[in-house]
Amino acid sequence: MRRYSPRVFHFASRFFRQRSLVEEAAQEVFLKAFTQLGSYEGRGSMEGWLTRITTNTCLNLLRSAKRRPEMTVSDLSEDESGWLESKYSGAAEEEFKSSERSKVAADLTERVLETMSPDDRLVLTLVDGEDAPVKEVAELTGWSESKVKVQAFRARKRMREAVEKLLSK
Amino acid sequence: MSEQHITSILESIRFASLSESDHSRIRAHIASCVDCARAYRVASVSASLLENRLAETFEPSPFFHTRVLAAVREKQNEGPAFARLWRAAGALVSSMAAAVVLFAVLSFGVLDQQSLPTDAPATAYSAEALILDDIEEEQTDGQVLSTLYEADE
Repeated sequence: MRRYSPRVFHFASRFFRQRSLVEEAAQEVFLKAFTQLGSYEGRGSMEGWLTRITTNTCLNLLRSAKRRPEMTVSDLSEDESGWLESKYSGAAEEEFKSSERSKVAADLTERVLETMSPDDRLVLTLVDGEDAPVKEVAELTGWSESKVKVQAFRARKRMREAVEKLLSK
Repeated sequence: MSEQHITSILESIRFASLSESDHSRIRAHIASCVDCARAYRVASVSASLLENRLAETFEPSPFFHTRVLAAVREKQNEGPAFARLWRAAGALVSSMAAAVVLFAVLSFGVLDQQSLPTDAPATAYSAEALILDDIEEEQTDGQVLSTLYEADE
């Protein structure tokens, strides 16, 4: 468990921003792993098997969580509006690299992602965020490769539309 | 390419995976297309948002492993669902079964006792005295028979 927990935590952190939720997901992953150890046939790596359990556990937790209603410009804080505006207008990259600015962006991203479906979140996180190959995402989720591609296509569109709404004045 | 809208490209490829030649072709198009220019910028902002969000990660806390092992032990002690249910309801079911057995034993015992007089030669005492149960002393079979013959004569 000590060997694999950093990987499970890293993966669960992609889906949850609160430490308590990440720990809850990781604990559930290891509980499932202990109880289903018999189903691990040793064909793939233990890390791959645990990553599959982590993906499914996180997806189920996301599905059971309540989705946030669609965000509008009025939901944005001053910092968030500032970040979006400066990023949109292409201001100097250095400005956004400070940790405070990153936190504002991370908060905003989480709120935007919370308005999206768990499947959209999953595919955006894995394909666009982690740069995971379509084949790997298909193996992790049990979806077909074409479903992953279509889901990613639609998720990107919906993400762009959600961000565009926040930029429209 | 410069005439073709680029929104479908932005949706089919991860933004960070666009090559330099993709970017230059896109730039050539958005110079004259306001909608695509906006879409390109928004896609860039979306990619930046994801990048910032995914830069965050958590490490396991020092007590995490202890907590998981405790949870595993608890789950092992719980056992299968049927065993847990049996433990909870076992006493109640056992006492109910004992009550049923006791009731059955008592019922059959009483019935047996009630059926005994039917086997006895009670029908032999057919005179009024016997019917009215006036006989104070228990009579022998011979006495009962002579009583009955006398009544017939």
